[in-house]
Amino acid sequence: MLAKAVFSHYRRHPVQLLALVVMITLATMLWTGVSVLTDQARVSLAESEAAVAGRQQVVRSDGQAVTVNDFALLRTQGQCVAPWLEVQRPGAEGRVIGIDPLALGCFGGAVPGGTAGEQLGAPFMDISEAVSLAREQGYDSRLSLLMPDNVTLLPVGYRAQDFSMGPATGELADSFLLNLDALSVLVLLITGLLVRSVYRLGLAQRRGSFALLQRFGVPWGRLQWLLVLELVLISSLAIMPGLWLGSQLAGLLGGGFAQALDGLFDVTLYAGSQTAVPWSALWIMLALVMLVCLSDWLLPRHWQRGMRAKRLWRWLLPALALGVGLLLVALAPALWWVFAGTTLVLLGVGTLTPVLLAALADGLGNRSLHPLGRWRLRELAVMLRQLALPVVALQLAVATVLAVQALVTTFEATFDDWLDQRLAAPFYLMVPEDADGHRGAQLLAELDGVGPWQRVIGGRVSLLQDSGQRLPVDLFAVAPIGPLLDQWQLLDSLPQPWQRLEEGGLMVNEQLARRQGLRPGDSLTVRLDEQQIEGQIAGVYADYGRPAGEVMVSADRLPEDFSGTSESLSITPGEHSIQAIQRDLEALWGVDNLSVNDNASIRQLANRVFDQTFMLTRAISVLTLALAAVSLLIMGWVFFTTRAWTFQLLRVWGLPLQGVRSQLRRLAVTLTLAVAVAALPLGIWLTWVLVSRINPLAFGWSLPMAVYPLFWLELGVLCAGIGLVIGLLMHRQLKPGAPPPVSASGITGEER
Amino acid sequence: MVTVEQLGKGFTSAGEPVPVISGLSFQVSRGASLAVMGRSGSGKSTLLNLLCGLESPDRGEISLGEHRFATQNPAGAERDAQWAQLRCSTIGVVFQEANLMPALTLADNVRLRAHLAGQAPGAEQQWLERLGVGDLGQRFADQVSGGQRQRAALAMVFAMKPALILADEPTGSLDRHTADAVADCLFAVQQETGCTLLLATHDGLLAGRCDQLLDLSRPHDHG
Ligand SMILES: Nc1ncnc2c1ncn2[C@@H]1O[C@H](COP(=O)(O)OP(=O)(O)OP(=O)(O)O)[C@@H](O)[C@H]1O
Ligand SMILES: [Mg+2]
Repeated sequence: MLAKAVFSHYRRHPVQLLALVVMITLATMLWTGVSVLTDQARVSLAESEAAVAGRQQVVRSDGQAVTVNDFALLRTQGQCVAPWLEVQRPGAEGRVIGIDPLALGCFGGAVPGGTAGEQLGAPFMDISEAVSLAREQGYDSRLSLLMPDNVTLLPVGYRAQDFSMGPATGELADSFLLNLDALSVLVLLITGLLVRSVYRLGLAQRRGSFALLQRFGVPWGRLQWLLVLELVLISSLAIMPGLWLGSQLAGLLGGGFAQALDGLFDVTLYAGSQTAVPWSALWIMLALVMLVCLSDWLLPRHWQRGMRAKRLWRWLLPALALGVGLLLVALAPALWWVFAGTTLVLLGVGTLTPVLLAALADGLGNRSLHPLGRWRLRELAVMLRQLALPVVALQLAVATVLAVQALVTTFEATFDDWLDQRLAAPFYLMVPEDADGHRGAQLLAELDGVGPWQRVIGGRVSLLQDSGQRLPVDLFAVAPIGPLLDQWQLLDSLPQPWQRLEEGGLMVNEQLARRQGLRPGDSLTVRLDEQQIEGQIAGVYADYGRPAGEVMVSADRLPEDFSGTSESLSITPGEHSIQAIQRDLEALWGVDNLSVNDNASIRQLANRVFDQTFMLTRAISVLTLALAAVSLLIMGWVFFTTRAWTFQLLRVWGLPLQGVRSQLRRLAVTLTLAVAVAALPLGIWLTWVLVSRINPLAFGWSLPMAVYPLFWLELGVLCAGIGLVIGLLMHRQLKPGAPPPVSASGITGEER
Repeated sequence: MVTVEQLGKGFTSAGEPVPVISGLSFQVSRGASLAVMGRSGSGKSTLLNLLCGLESPDRGEISLGEHRFATQNPAGAERDAQWAQLRCSTIGVVFQEANLMPALTLADNVRLRAHLAGQAPGAEQQWLERLGVGDLGQRFADQVSGGQRQRAALAMVFAMKPALILADEPTGSLDRHTADAVADCLFAVQQETGCTLLLATHDGLLAGRCDQLLDLSRPHDHG
């Protein structure tokens, strides 16, 4: 009986129930979508890296390409090897890979290419088919011999080498995923606000009937239990479809992602098609809904009353949260401090923004000499106070979009720079182990008309620290110091850093500089096998690829007999063809079939993966914005039903209908524009947190902080558009034939 | 000042036509006051809404000074614009409740209304004082009593210096004593400014203070 009385509210207000259900469903959908995507992207990238990094191949020590004869020889010697024939089809068809499922038998569980290899699905086919395809069509093909990574002994004349088909984007991807995590927390917060705003609206309307029931002797505690029960029921019903929709959304967005990954790594790594419903999201959403809707009860009642009464608390508490949050983020020694601080800042900003904006509007109103302008500003203040929650949700959503846009654009630019840096020159070729890289470099130096080129030697060395200990670091030795290094981003440097490098200086990457507290001008001692190199640090360069510290020196300073782990030549062919240069080097080193890598295609592949990921992130942030806009519309509509009479009053006072409507539109547009302006500093701060706080703490390097004023402008226009749409829809409540305001349903202080 | 001829107005409710006013004719001269009486639902409010153009008549003609409104003449937007112009500076409307913008103080309400009517600013305090709420100018509508709100509403109407005041039960929600005091003010200022007053009311005493009486409950044959 009592339950019936309590629940009957939604029977009388089905739209409110619908709005609440829709909000919870959409919130669940968004959050599930984001978290499923992030999880899957994380798994996929981890797998892809394992697939790339874990694979080994057999190569000939003399640098010659392996042939079918090598395969036969190795097999007869009892080695476990399997052929892998890449056939490059032109254009969009892409490459196919011929494999021999029988030969893969000895790999046991660790089959290269994952299970896809066994099933011979695209891009895999039987090796005999691949061979005939290559022969008949005349396509380029390349044979590799794969081996399990646990094999150590190989016959003389062969050695093991990492088998990699794309650039290892490792840390950059990880960093991006962490930021995606941060984004999903933000999305959770925003949707929480939206759910709360809809629920509190209903609760406010039910206050009267609760008071009545209490007067009839129903204890408040029992009412509370009924409300909790009701909310659990409603949210469980609403969360279920949300979970399903969320995994559908993830599948939809993930499809493109999966394709890009397939293209890059030749294996079906992304499990996006078989999205399982994440049940953990059910509990998280349920807890969230309970928390945001009923959190007021957690505070003792006299506190609540006190806080409502004392204006000071309304300012002081959020201001305190804001201050502490900013401090936490700025000083954070660990990642979770940043997250906690950010939450505090968002709470503080969220509470303060409507209050501050309303106070501002009131203040401006008092100053306005134009009576209609004063009325508009006062009305704006009322709207800001009454629609505080959806307004804040919109503000956070706009800030998120801003931050994500800046982040994504920065990532894109940075990733591009990083590829420029590591893939300088159009081509590069690995120097075979037995070949003399120095002679190869000489050949290039004497070649007229060749474009910029450089020789790069990688190795492991150690830094001699003051304490006498040795710190292992990577070595990046390059010569000549030329135009190919122009792409390198120096974060900090002495004057003429490249000249200093050529003359014996050193450079370190950002990771190493941060970890060891190194600065340009410091002296450093690098220990090679026998000798050591000393020098001054000429610059610190950005290096987004890996966690490892790295020292860069001029290759000319290395001793002749230095044995690095890898050596390559980056070449711009200039007036020559790359084939001609390749032939010259093959002749010089006495090998045939040197493999030349085309940097453009590597870059293209890598970009495709990132494009997809970025698109996905943008899609999520824009969806959040749309959700916030829709909720502002719903709340605005409900609010306006109690407010339309004041606009009718203007009509009674002789403003033509068009004039009244234009006032309404101006008000709505001013509201959303004010929200956009309030979101701007928050968005910039969030960007800063993502690139300058979260990244260094998680990975040791920061991304360059960039701002995009043009995008701010776009977002401002978008917000004005949202306001305009809201205003235009509100017109419906101002019909020409609408009755004049014969009675205002009880004028209370809440109306201003 | 106000001439109404053969006015007819009905509504459709649940598909059924409901005639409210039919064949109504009357005339009020400049500076006079007319009380519109009748039981609830007899069409008092409807009549006042017709007289300020918030509703359109089905039949008949309304003349206000030199403005004449027949059923289709003027038509459409032109008609709306003319009525809006009249409501803006010539016709002051007072309802039983909800005459003030809740977001503005009483003084700001008066100033806004006067501004819309094209009156110079600065007289609002004077009008508030004239109606006995001079010390409440800085308060908001929810911070004063119902009687004080209606006084402020009258101050707003007078501040626009109208030629015609349409008052729909302006004292309807007030107690006898307050109602009389508000009515005193209303009639005093009406006399003083010489504007025409049309007053819809249930209240026989209030109606008795008007020059003319129109009872909508009876067949319409008044002049
Ligand atoms: N917009 C409308 N749609 C349908 N019927 C209406 C509309 N406005 C008024 N009516 C009907 O017209 C009749 C007259 O209404 P009106 O408000 O003019 O009465 P009234 O004399 O002012 O009554 P009261 O003394 O209660 O204010 C009523 O029966 C009412 O139901
Ligand atoms: Mg009425």
